[in-house]
Amino acid sequence: MAESGASRVLVERLGRTAAGWVEEFGYYFALCAESLYWLVAGPFRHQPVRLGAAVAQMAAIGLSALPILVLLSFAIGVMLAIQGIHTLQQFGAETQVVLGIALSVTREFGPLITAILIAGRSGSALAARIGSMQINQEIDALRVMGIEPVRFLAAPVLLALLVMVPCLSFVADLAALAGGSVYCKLGLGLGYVPYWDAAVKFVDADDVYQGLLKSLVFALVIGLVGLSNGFNVTGGAEGVGRATTRAVVLAISYVVVFDMLFTYFLNR
Amino acid sequence: MDADCVIEVENLVAHYGARQILHGVNLRVAQGEINVIMGGSGSGKSTLLRHLLGLKRPTSGSVRLLGKDITKMAARELHVLRRNMGVAFQGGALLSSLTVGENVQLPLREHTRLDDRTIEIMTRLKLEIVSLGGYEHLHPSQLSGGMIKRAALARAIVMDPKLLFFDEPSAGLDPVVSAELDDLILKLRASMGMTIVVVTHELESAFKIADRITVLDHGHILLSGTVAEVRESKEARIEALLNRRSRQTEVDPDDYLRRLTGG
Amino acid sequence: MVYKVTKRGGYAVVHLAGDVDLSCSPEARKTILDALLGAQHTLVDLSQVSYIDSSGVASLVEGYQTAKKKGLRFGLVGVSEPAMSVLELARLDKVFPIHASVEERLGQDG
Repeated sequence: MAESGASRVLVERLGRTAAGWVEEFGYYFALCAESLYWLVAGPFRHQPVRLGAAVAQMAAIGLSALPILVLLSFAIGVMLAIQGIHTLQQFGAETQVVLGIALSVTREFGPLITAILIAGRSGSALAARIGSMQINQEIDALRVMGIEPVRFLAAPVLLALLVMVPCLSFVADLAALAGGSVYCKLGLGLGYVPYWDAAVKFVDADDVYQGLLKSLVFALVIGLVGLSNGFNVTGGAEGVGRATTRAVVLAISYVVVFDMLFTYFLNR
Repeated sequence: MDADCVIEVENLVAHYGARQILHGVNLRVAQGEINVIMGGSGSGKSTLLRHLLGLKRPTSGSVRLLGKDITKMAARELHVLRRNMGVAFQGGALLSSLTVGENVQLPLREHTRLDDRTIEIMTRLKLEIVSLGGYEHLHPSQLSGGMIKRAALARAIVMDPKLLFFDEPSAGLDPVVSAELDDLILKLRASMGMTIVVVTHELESAFKIADRITVLDHGHILLSGTVAEVRESKEARIEALLNRRSRQTEVDPDDYLRRLTGG
Repeated sequence: MVYKVTKRGGYAVVHLAGDVDLSCSPEARKTILDALLGAQHTLVDLSQVSYIDSSGVASLVEGYQTAKKKGLRFGLVGVSEPAMSVLELARLDKVFPIHASVEERLGQDG
């Protein structure tokens, strides 16, 4: 009797969790669709998405993240070179290290490290900003002024992320390859020119596209998770704190999981 | 339908989650009237306001503004109607990323194609009306509580709305500043003929500005009448409100004991 | 809405009428500014105005400012009651030269 009660509670909880997830993903989807709608139809309804705000967001997302992104990517490049050389030495194939670095950087690490960094910096800032606007009734105020919050707040941010994350991923690719080249020079005595020649030879357009495609999806994930956690804040200042943390953790988790799925399907 | 009635609420029932907040509320506000909605915390007055603003969909009942039922309205229609509504929120709800001036002119920039000069002059005019002339370049964080409320009022009236909603104008303000806001509300009605709904728990302010007072209690309308009618009311709860007596409910000893012991 | 402009004793008189609101204040503004750009002293007749919103008032303010800059004379005449209460709200009745009629103004210029 007690056992069936416990299992019923478990099933109930599972059901509620599942319903919560469905609801949350539905919300992401609606937010995404509505933002797209305003980006496309806004100008025709004399309610364009504010491009000025999008540009300001791009600057906030991109420029200030650049130094730390270059540093992190460079370090990843060095790390890949160290590991690659160490592993390949066992087969006497250490000269092939450039192939490993070039492919894993453009397909994986460039977009991934960028997405994680942006989720941490901009995703959290986004959730905090929208969340505090929500508890200060600024969102309500926009709504009663006849200004759609999705058009006014969400669409510019998503646009900015969709532009900046791929650009930053590309910068991260270059920085990581540079990191690799420095270590290959020190550890293998491989010259910079042969290194870059090899890198360019191994990497074809598809690899770069694959990375950029991923980064577009990551941008969307970071934006939607940040926005939705912000818009759905409850419980005052403490709630904003919770939403911010949740946004970062969720965004990074989704990015990693999506990355895995992508890699699986794109490499079949 | 009464032609002079610009706000008509009929049998409004609202829930928050499973809890019922409004139990069939009826409210009528005539053109040019100042109607003050009063009630303690938990009376449902904030919820009623949110429904009047179309920020929530009720469980049942209707809310007609300027003759149109906003509960059955398409988003686009509501959007048009909202140009005739101004709202000053309790905490001001100014966008913190914009200056005071940018906040006030936001509705004009979004809804009109007026010349920049005209928009600037209109913005300064409204700030003058609320005695904030010269403050347009400051950010909301640099203003005091009373100034923020006045700036929010300037933003609410920048489109010269037909309906003005004001949430708790006197909350958190000293008596002098709140009396000034009351005067301002009266002035706005006198010169622009606005219909004004004020939500407050301040009795003094309500008596000063109201044509009619609507008293809410636990989601029911206790009384809706003129200031004189409210003053003379013999209803115990209203008397308690007037005399600021704390709420005393009959004690059922058994029930009370059970509540205390949790048994 | 197209507003009528008449000439009276060296003044261009702009006759505003009806509801001067967001939909027609740009036209009112243009008419007033055009008169001033033609270097004419300008009076704005508000006697037929049933309602003027702040965009209309803003146009009057801009007109007065423009007139001052150009050294032209400017004034409001026959301000209707609804227009007056809006001007009073912003204390603009203390700012504009206000006259009961065009004749009164012409008499003052004497």
